Amino acid sequence: MKETYGVSLPGLSSDDLVGKLIVIEGTDGVGRSTQIRLLKEWLEQQGRAVLDTGLSRSGLVGKSIKRAKEGHTLGRITLSLFYATDFADRLENEIVPALRAGFVVLTDRYIYSLMARAMVRGLDPTWVRNIHRFALKPDAVFYLRIGVDELIPRAVFARGFDYWESGMDLYSTEDMYDSFRKYQSALLDQFDQLAEEFHFNVVDARPDPREIFEGLREGILRVLVEPDTAQQDMGPAHAIVVPMSEPAAVRMIDASVREDDLSEK
Amino acid sequence: MKRYGDHRIPGRLFIVEGIDGSGKSTQLMLLHQWLKAEGYGVVFSEWNSSPLVKDTTKRGKKKQLLTPATFSLIHATDFADRTERNIIPLLKAGAVVLCDRYIYTAFARDVSRGMDPEWIRELYGFAVRPTIAFYFRVPLEVAMKRISDGRSGFKFYEAGMDLGLSDDPDESFRLFQGRILEEYEKMVPEFGLTVIDATQPIETQQKQMRQLVLMKLTQARQLRVAP
Repeated sequence: MKETYGVSLPGLSSDDLVGKLIVIEGTDGVGRSTQIRLLKEWLEQQGRAVLDTGLSRSGLVGKSIKRAKEGHTLGRITLSLFYATDFADRLENEIVPALRAGFVVLTDRYIYSLMARAMVRGLDPTWVRNIHRFALKPDAVFYLRIGVDELIPRAVFARGFDYWESGMDLYSTEDMYDSFRKYQSALLDQFDQLAEEFHFNVVDARPDPREIFEGLREGILRVLVEPDTAQQDMGPAHAIVVPMSEPAAVRMIDASVREDDLSEK
Repeated sequence: MKRYGDHRIPGRLFIVEGIDGSGKSTQLMLLHQWLKAEGYGVVFSEWNSSPLVKDTTKRGKKKQLLTPATFSLIHATDFADRTERNIIPLLKAGAVVLCDRYIYTAFARDVSRGMDPEWIRELYGFAVRPTIAFYFRVPLEVAMKRISDGRSGFKFYEAGMDLGLSDDPDESFRLFQGRILEEYEKMVPEFGLTVIDATQPIETQQKQMRQLVLMKLTQARQLRVAP
């Protein structure tokens, strides 16, 4: 069954959560939402109920965060705690009930993005880890990895530079391009460290979306056919660690698992 | 990121803690008046007052959307905003900052709501350690009597109704305050809170408070601004 990273919340039992919690992580503009859309459609075709959720979508504080960010006046600790509140609200009111009802929960980012952003902003790594210790350990984390050079055309050409995605709160004297590069590179470094610590499945995000989708699908099938995921240490049980220096092929593909396995369950 | 106890700043931070009805706000108001009259640059910061966050908290409370976890985190967010934008810069500038309730309120309430005591202490690890943290100690029955003379009709979270201790708001409030009192008592040695016997006459308490504050201010004469 499921467990948290060490802190349990009052009134929240995690031992009857029969669904699967699958995290899609990755930096801004890497293609997470495209993949989640494809995955949701596919899972629903397989007869799986899916809940998709993502940062700042909580009923309690989602709008407040967006409003506060527009003013560009949020301090870094405040920003982290605002997001942690949003996460707690969604965990308790969306994610846990859905898992209890046997849904597959696909989440667009998780605590790892929040930790990476906070640490890039210079917050104490111990403090940052602690505040997220009430989070459930996911059944799998798929990290869409890309280098900053490949990221720039994708993230920027389509929608222009965003103040926060460019880390302008950190490097306000730079122009948006330099700031974006610096900020996103720092974020990617943090993600690489988190990938090892939390045993992400690292997925090369450079190929075309269809190809990435195929890889993710295979990886998720493996998670779904497992009757239960016995957790070990801090990471998902089925983690496949890929050397960080080479973000090459999608490694979780296992041809022995077919979609038929899913329907047999 | 500086931790509790690590900040080296010229200002002075005095805070008051205690259960509802302990008289702490009255005492802080009197201290504020005196410091102003003495010519100090004094700033007052209230619990739960960040312009960015307080409306969310208010809405969450009104609609009863808050769980112990989100109650805790939204208050920490509010406190972080006040710390980052007000308390730290003011203390750096050499001001005397007064806070009605501080992190110990969060520890007492959130632990009473079942949150992990260590987790909540780490959560507030960015807070500045007060120059003096006054704790107004009062027996539960005395505080209850003071409150019931003055007011009635407790709000949902204020009475701890979310804990399901009792269906009766007055009874729930009493039980919840009792738990909070226990948490405060544990924190007296843990954080070295300065205990004021809040059953004494108001003037006596204020005199004690001013004496203690004055000792901390004479070490920093430059804090005085022209009246």
